[in-house]
Amino acid sequence: MQNLFYGAALALGLATTPALAEYPERDIQGIIQWGAGGSTDTVSRSLTPHAEKILGASVILQNVTGGVGAIGLNQAERADADGYTLLFGAENPLLYKIMGLGDKDYADFVPINIIARGIPILVAQPDAPFDTFPEMIAYINENPGEVRFGSTGPGGLPSVVTAMINAKTPIDVTSVPYDGDGPALTALQGGAVDVMPAVLGAALEPVRAGNLKAIAIFDTQAVEQLPDTPAITDTNPEFADVLPWGPFFGVFVKAGTPDDVVAKLTDAYAQATQNADFLSMMDGRGFRMLSLSGAEAQEFLDTWQRQTAWTLFDAGIAKNSPEDFGIARP
Amino acid sequence: MDIISNLLIPIVNLDLLLLIAVGTFAGIYVGAIPGLSVTMAVSILISFTFSWEVYPALALMIGIYMGGVYGGSRTAILLNIPGAPSAIATALDGFPMAQQGRAGEAIGIVTVVSFIGGFLGIIALALFAPFLSDFAIGFQPRDFMLLAIMGILLVGSLSGDSLVKGVFAGALGIGIGAVGMDPLTVQDRFVFGIPDLRGGISFVAVMIGLFGVSETLAQLHSIHTPAVRQKITNIVPSWAKVRKHLPLGLQTSTIGTVVGALPGTGGDIAALMAYDHAQRVTRNPEVPFGKGAIEGLVAPETANNAAVGGAFIPMMTLGIPGDAVTAIMIGALFIHGLNPGPMLMIEQPDMFWFIVSSLTLANIFMLIFGLTGIRLFVRIVELPRTVLLPVIMVLSIVGAYAINNSVTDVYWMLGFGVLGYFMRLYGYPLAPIILGVILSRLLDDNWRRAIISERDDFGAMMMGIFTSPLSLSLFLAVVLIVATSTPWWKRWRARKAGVVASQGQKP
Repeated sequence: MQNLFYGAALALGLATTPALAEYPERDIQGIIQWGAGGSTDTVSRSLTPHAEKILGASVILQNVTGGVGAIGLNQAERADADGYTLLFGAENPLLYKIMGLGDKDYADFVPINIIARGIPILVAQPDAPFDTFPEMIAYINENPGEVRFGSTGPGGLPSVVTAMINAKTPIDVTSVPYDGDGPALTALQGGAVDVMPAVLGAALEPVRAGNLKAIAIFDTQAVEQLPDTPAITDTNPEFADVLPWGPFFGVFVKAGTPDDVVAKLTDAYAQATQNADFLSMMDGRGFRMLSLSGAEAQEFLDTWQRQTAWTLFDAGIAKNSPEDFGIARP
Repeated sequence: MDIISNLLIPIVNLDLLLLIAVGTFAGIYVGAIPGLSVTMAVSILISFTFSWEVYPALALMIGIYMGGVYGGSRTAILLNIPGAPSAIATALDGFPMAQQGRAGEAIGIVTVVSFIGGFLGIIALALFAPFLSDFAIGFQPRDFMLLAIMGILLVGSLSGDSLVKGVFAGALGIGIGAVGMDPLTVQDRFVFGIPDLRGGISFVAVMIGLFGVSETLAQLHSIHTPAVRQKITNIVPSWAKVRKHLPLGLQTSTIGTVVGALPGTGGDIAALMAYDHAQRVTRNPEVPFGKGAIEGLVAPETANNAAVGGAFIPMMTLGIPGDAVTAIMIGALFIHGLNPGPMLMIEQPDMFWFIVSSLTLANIFMLIFGLTGIRLFVRIVELPRTVLLPVIMVLSIVGAYAINNSVTDVYWMLGFGVLGYFMRLYGYPLAPIILGVILSRLLDDNWRRAIISERDDFGAMMMGIFTSPLSLSLFLAVVLIVATSTPWWKRWRARKAGVVASQGQKP
């Protein structure tokens, strides 16, 4: 009987010691919001092994997909705020509230690292009768409704870029929605759509091969991967006040996670983003490195949310007003 | 010369050869267990092979892919639970064969025709990749819509005795497939405010429930009946038998390669279309379809393995994935510092020939591993049901949970298991439900996309169908399939056959 008591006490002791032990003392779970093979997945899976070495623990990655990433986000939010569940996400959650997709977003999380940003680019079929952004706008205005824009549904990158263009120069185009930028770019190469606002990384290879024509980099500066393609602000400086803008990837933990754990994760991921192999992979895919953490990362998220939410709301795409969620107009 | 030396890479490097063999072997078992999918295995391997060189990493993934597509047929034949969606059609004739004590024969022929299908797919990849990828990306939304309509018409050949019940089951499947957030408009459909429904109902969970659990429940009726003794002779099919089915295998491999090469459609749809095709072209099967026809095994199994080579076609030529597995492999190439895209074939042709050669080796290993160990496998069916049924239940639950690490999928699986049990009891066919779920999104999204592309003008879309040669061919195929299924057509055929027969009797 006494032995049993000691045994129980010992077991209890073992069970409680982890709280005192140094983080991380067991495997960490990583939830990737998007499916295997996508950019969020690729970036998360190629960055994490470098962070694992620094943390000295394994990060078990799994894809929890569906609901524009909301299912994965909610699963990470339901876990304990102990730093043993990481969320690998993209920009989408910042639009959940205004798109009516859920009441949780990155406000319920602490950013560990905002890894990198994608650069939007306008691409067209190689035989499109225009080569530059002003020519494209002129052609669209001469042929209202004729030009088909590839899209990924309301709230996706193409819808935001199209809304930004519309805010400056109203254009009448037909947006054809696809399941993601991969299928939409495939449709563009197959002739089912004419123009696509895409992320540079996804469009880079077909542009290099001449299967697609780059119209403009939707950013304030040109990119080294495509030196001949002008930045949109070169031809249309009025876009400077909404740019730079782009989708991004980040690592998050639930709000309320102890500060020392956040600090440790922040440090590990900040170091991991400096890895040479990782940097060259990101460069090859056309991403611009950010590696933001702490207040800087929070500032980035807030600015991104204000700007994008209001752009979508003004374009009539958002279901709810950003004001309802305390998102101030930029 | 370079081509040959690149083709030889995986053959002369013993470690690569070994990895392909290990991958193929593991793939057969991953594929055989319902819920453990090749897609899942390959995405786990991305993390696992992160620090490896690119060749060994790809060698392992290719082995798993090839073995996994084949492995799905094992459980389909032995237990009536397709290990993967692409093996659904295989269960329709494979399981009746197992019940007749011919499981060994079924697995034998499936292994050989999978090898043949896989090989033809690889040849298409090696010789016609640029041509086929041009053809495949030329598919417009209206063409995908017509393809989905062709697919829906397969309900006719999957219905068994009652077409009405088959149509009902197919419509139920389409309804199940429509649940969740619509990606085109970000609107919830049939979600009823439940967040877990927003991601839709996993069709693998539906499949495991309808086949695995409902089969288990149905077998409880005969729990004390001794299991059928399996004959273990005739496992390796004779050359005469293979030759007899070779013409059908060639046709269905072509279907498999083309459907596999289309972005967004894969081995599952290919296998079902091939099964339908087999029913159409086979005049006098020795055994009727659905009762253990060899043709019903040859068609889907050649097609789904040919779809593997097919799926690599747009991946290697354009960097566009042909299916979910090749999508992950593209991610793997990125991680290993390559840039898959149209330039890959020009800048790194070695990669293309390496993949062709690895696929060929995986295909050969699949044949070897597939034909050995059958004796042991068929013993599974001879286990007492009191042992076998709980094992199937456990496998089904593990499989359903593994899809997305979600208990919700387990509940769905169990719910559909009970539904499937009652549907079986009342003579409803279950395969059309899966067909409906698979095709629901393809049909719905592309139907709307086709109309949106024409500025919401239905007439303009129909004009598009009649002016594009590809769309017109698909449309005529749909018309032909419908027309040949009508009683008028059958009567006309019968009368014509009668005339020919009576003419023959004239002196």
